Amino acid sequence: METEIAKTGILVDPLQGKPLPKTHYFSLLLFKTYLDLRAEASRTYLNFLWWIVEPVLYMGVFYVVFGLMFKRGDGPDYVPFLLCGLMAWKWFDSTIRSGANAIQVNAALIGQVFIPKIFFPSVTIVHNMVKFAFVLIIFLVFLQYYGLGWNITYVALPAILVVQLLLIAGCTFLLASIVPFIPDIMQVVNYALTLLLFLSGIFYSVDSFPEQYQAYFYLNPMVSIIEAYRDVMLYSQWPDLTSLSIVAAVSILMIVTGAWIMSRYERVYPRVVL
Amino acid sequence: MTDSEPIVKLENVGVCFSQRQGLFKRSTFWALENISLNLYHGETLGVVGGNGAGKTTLLKILSGILEPSVGCYTNPGFRASMLTLQLGFVHNLTGRDNAVLSGMLLGQTRQQMMAKMDAIVEFSELADFIDQPVRTYSTGMRARLGFSVAIEASPDILLIDEILGVGDTSFRAKSTAAMKTLIVSDRTVVLVSHNHAIMRELCDRVVWIENRSTCMEGPVDEVLTAYVKSRLP
Repeated sequence: METEIAKTGILVDPLQGKPLPKTHYFSLLLFKTYLDLRAEASRTYLNFLWWIVEPVLYMGVFYVVFGLMFKRGDGPDYVPFLLCGLMAWKWFDSTIRSGANAIQVNAALIGQVFIPKIFFPSVTIVHNMVKFAFVLIIFLVFLQYYGLGWNITYVALPAILVVQLLLIAGCTFLLASIVPFIPDIMQVVNYALTLLLFLSGIFYSVDSFPEQYQAYFYLNPMVSIIEAYRDVMLYSQWPDLTSLSIVAAVSILMIVTGAWIMSRYERVYPRVVL
Repeated sequence: MTDSEPIVKLENVGVCFSQRQGLFKRSTFWALENISLNLYHGETLGVVGGNGAGKTTLLKILSGILEPSVGCYTNPGFRASMLTLQLGFVHNLTGRDNAVLSGMLLGQTRQQMMAKMDAIVEFSELADFIDQPVRTYSTGMRARLGFSVAIEASPDILLIDEILGVGDTSFRAKSTAAMKTLIVSDRTVVLVSHNHAIMRELCDRVVWIENRSTCMEGPVDEVLTAYVKSRLP
């Protein structure tokens, strides 16, 4: 029992010798995220306005290329169609890009004090979640002005958001747990994300492909998620709950696996990342 | 002072590192081979040994950062951490935010750190600068803040890798004095140092580590004399 505590590294109050409440790392997570967001904002002249400007620029680039140059937007509603996909994709992409090597970039801290390794990718996830909230709100306002207002299917929106959060957490945890051992994965991740950007049905609808190929697209969970957003926000339809449930189940499995690897190799990471 | 049971016990502890050398080649080396020691409540245990003897790795085992590959490490839940200055500092944040963050990383709650803020500001002599971003600080100011936080947030078992005085001459004297006060107090301390005068002054017992194994553990004078003798040609 005694060695058990030492192994799991539960914090104890310095003077009482009793474990601190388990919420310690949770409040540390919130505080660290809050500070990181502030530090990030304070680095630029426009401050936190960048959280709005940056996604607008990001979407603007793709709008110019695919909406204007390639004239993909034959349909009248191509702009909301494109932006809806990009909004969801950007959340997925930016969290994974910075979360996959979260343990590695904190090597100095890991070598100085014991912190559960799952803490580091979690900070990235919460950080990007807050930034996505801004994007989502702007997009909802845009839809109102565009003439695609609220409808009853918005009831399903929180469920889609939760499923996407689970998917992001699953991918980030799993990658963050392996990347310290095989840093080469980071290179692959960057290209895989670029490839997935074009395979996620952001610039086109999967329906426009021959039927025998469509099934392959759905191996990519982002396709189902982006379609669900579009169903609710653009077409006032209920999303396909079956495919969302499958994505959620697989994501939870990835979260558990990633968390297990991180706790299993908790004291091995400091040796590997230094 | 050294009553009854040790609070932390290491028995025949070894740490093995495995390093990649090529695509499929791996090599292993032992950073620690056979370390045994006892740490009693309230004592100050000195650690001596040559370069590369494994002193820093030993501190990492005691602070729970690394896990022994072999041997037995017993700690019934006391929090031990290394005295590190400027732990987790983010240069774009104010001194106050960094102090709280650093303290929380060391296991203090946010409220505890808020309560200690006045003492930190006073000790670090930062005055109004505490609410300025750390990136605007001079090296000395940063070191003073780092030291003040480390002293205020120090845990139950404090692991010190060489006593460091920081800052200018007057703050150096003050910080060394503060550290000595902390060591002499009821706190349990493991002190790694090459300064034998300081060890004779502060330590209750000394462990001598050589070739990644415990060579000798005992009273300060006895161990230090043997250690010095072994160093002479």
